[in-house]
Amino acid sequence: MLTVVLQQGINGIVVGSLYVLVALGLTLIYGVLVQINFAHADIVTVGAFVAYFVTHWLSGNYFAGIAAALAVGAVFGWLMNAAIFAPLRDRGNELLPLIATIGVSIMLQNAMLVLLGPIPYAFNTPYSNEVIRLGGTFLTVQNALIIIVSTITIVLLYAFMKFTFLGKALRAVSQDRETAGLMGINPNYVIMLTFVIASALAGMGGAMLGPVLVLTPFAGTSVIVKAFAIVIIGGFGNVEGTIIAGLIVGLIESYTTQFLDPGWIDIVVFALLLLTLAVRPTGLVAERREENV
Amino acid sequence: MTKWLYCALLMVASIFGAPAVSTTSAFAADKTIKIGALFPISGPGSYFGTQDKQGVELALEQLNKAGVNGYKFEVKYEDSACSPLPATQATKRLIEQFKPDVAIGEECSDATLAIMPIMARAKIPLLNAGSSSIKITEPGNPWTFRIMPNEVMQGIDIANNAYKRLNARTAVILHENTNAGIGNAKVFADTFTKDGGKILADIGFGRDVNDFTSIATRVAGLGQIDVIPTYTLEGQGLKITQALAQAGVVKGGGGHAIQLGTIWLPFGFEQKAGKAALGYIRIVQFDPTDQREVVRKFVDAFKAKYNQSPTHLNAHAYDQIMLIADVVKRGGKDAQSIRDGLAATKNFVGVTGSVEFDKHNQNVKMDTVHYMETKPDLSWTALKWN
Repeated sequence: MLTVVLQQGINGIVVGSLYVLVALGLTLIYGVLVQINFAHADIVTVGAFVAYFVTHWLSGNYFAGIAAALAVGAVFGWLMNAAIFAPLRDRGNELLPLIATIGVSIMLQNAMLVLLGPIPYAFNTPYSNEVIRLGGTFLTVQNALIIIVSTITIVLLYAFMKFTFLGKALRAVSQDRETAGLMGINPNYVIMLTFVIASALAGMGGAMLGPVLVLTPFAGTSVIVKAFAIVIIGGFGNVEGTIIAGLIVGLIESYTTQFLDPGWIDIVVFALLLLTLAVRPTGLVAERREENV
Repeated sequence: MTKWLYCALLMVASIFGAPAVSTTSAFAADKTIKIGALFPISGPGSYFGTQDKQGVELALEQLNKAGVNGYKFEVKYEDSACSPLPATQATKRLIEQFKPDVAIGEECSDATLAIMPIMARAKIPLLNAGSSSIKITEPGNPWTFRIMPNEVMQGIDIANNAYKRLNARTAVILHENTNAGIGNAKVFADTFTKDGGKILADIGFGRDVNDFTSIATRVAGLGQIDVIPTYTLEGQGLKITQALAQAGVVKGGGGHAIQLGTIWLPFGFEQKAGKAALGYIRIVQFDPTDQREVVRKFVDAFKAKYNQSPTHLNAHAYDQIMLIADVVKRGGKDAQSIRDGLAATKNFVGVTGSVEFDKHNQNVKMDTVHYMETKPDLSWTALKWN
């Protein structure tokens, strides 16, 4: 039984790491803009498909696929902000960008459906079927990569936010956009940067999720609901909270599967969400909004 | 720059934002049999719709060359999305705008169950080829007909074959939490237990589950398992098979258990799953190695049109249209006469097998069930169990 508990812990950390990669982008955008980005899920899907095709074109070079997904995600982030969200924000109506994210989401899904078809793709990387077995537990090399890449990403993001000028500028804009502007920070540039980083994270998350997900044009939507739940549980706009909540949700999923039933996963996760909203509405970590991001 | 990008995105949106419905209509003549096709064109079951449409188009091409009893056939497709709500909306749209003489579809049981009462109220026959829930024909309604064996017929057959031919004594059942998934799992469990086997676990999951490593871990901890009947759509099916292999449970991962699958999975599943699928036994509705003339002609025609081999989804969609044509040949000309003609069908010979409906409009023939085993090179061996 101890082996099973340990194995489910490993499984939970893998799934939680994936959720964190997806949720970090959402929380960054919310932290800076107080805006929910429904198109984030579809950038995840785009990233997954980019990684799939690049990996295949380069005869199994998965790392090139990850890099390409990250780059394409970043370009999408810049494009969406420049073409859609920035002009709508200038009109001063907070609802317009929110609705636009839904429009972008539907457009991307249908574009991928037309271009790529509805049949699930089998994204098997060279590491998908390589299994490391240790003391009765197992971990595919692919899943080990997910944990490693997620950890490196989290550390780099944390360092960027805490120790670089741009990171500090991003946090300043999230706390008070007008005052940050008076201090010489260009808020529009910081917002653009936020979209680029968040979408790059989504693209890379897609590259890591692709081999795990059922890869169709709707793949991202299957994880985005959980990602939203994680952002809320962790504290809207709070990076540390998002990381903790992501890992908690991953572990809840695996242990619920083991000791209850997979059908209970959503019940348990969303019960936790409701409990968090009732008892600690600001999330697990966030106390004050000015501390977020 | 920003305005230019805006315009470009709007243009892309207008190109890709076309509605997911289409009509195969080359005939404005009065003598046309109008067929409504309710297929999942979007969502996780959309591979059904894509392949169904190929089978339908081939049948139409062949039939409309000369017509049948002076009738041509026209089909309108609606996206029913494998789900009750969009299926209901698509059905109402189809009836109001197209006014079909007969309809075919859906593939998923939940969607079919939602469509049935609407079709019955409109008094339009519905010919189903892909849904397995027993509720569709028990108690059934006079306007719904089903070509494929229902979940009870399939489930009893699979369970008996597992116990008697594979000497299985223990099983773990994996299924999606839908009418069809739960129904198929129950029938297998009841029959297998009655035969003397033991169900070690019955694990259901939603269609939003992506990572099956945790489920495979749980299965691996259940002791020696002989068979794992699995009731899911293709995407989740792939992930389950790979996760079970990684956990060392099934033959494809060096384990002992044999996975048993259903007709829900399309052809080509094994190639996507890779060596994890080794030893997988599943039923399909169409045997491409079948030497009957009707099958050979269908395979040749399909390859000529699409430059690929037909799948069982292609085949059962083709059979649906051909059965309607057979009814028209026997005098069917409108909804009521087509319904009556379908009910009177005896020994219709299709590419999937033969068709003869009982009093609940369920096809009683079992020759539409073909068992296939995945070999090490990921090709199939037909097991000829039926």
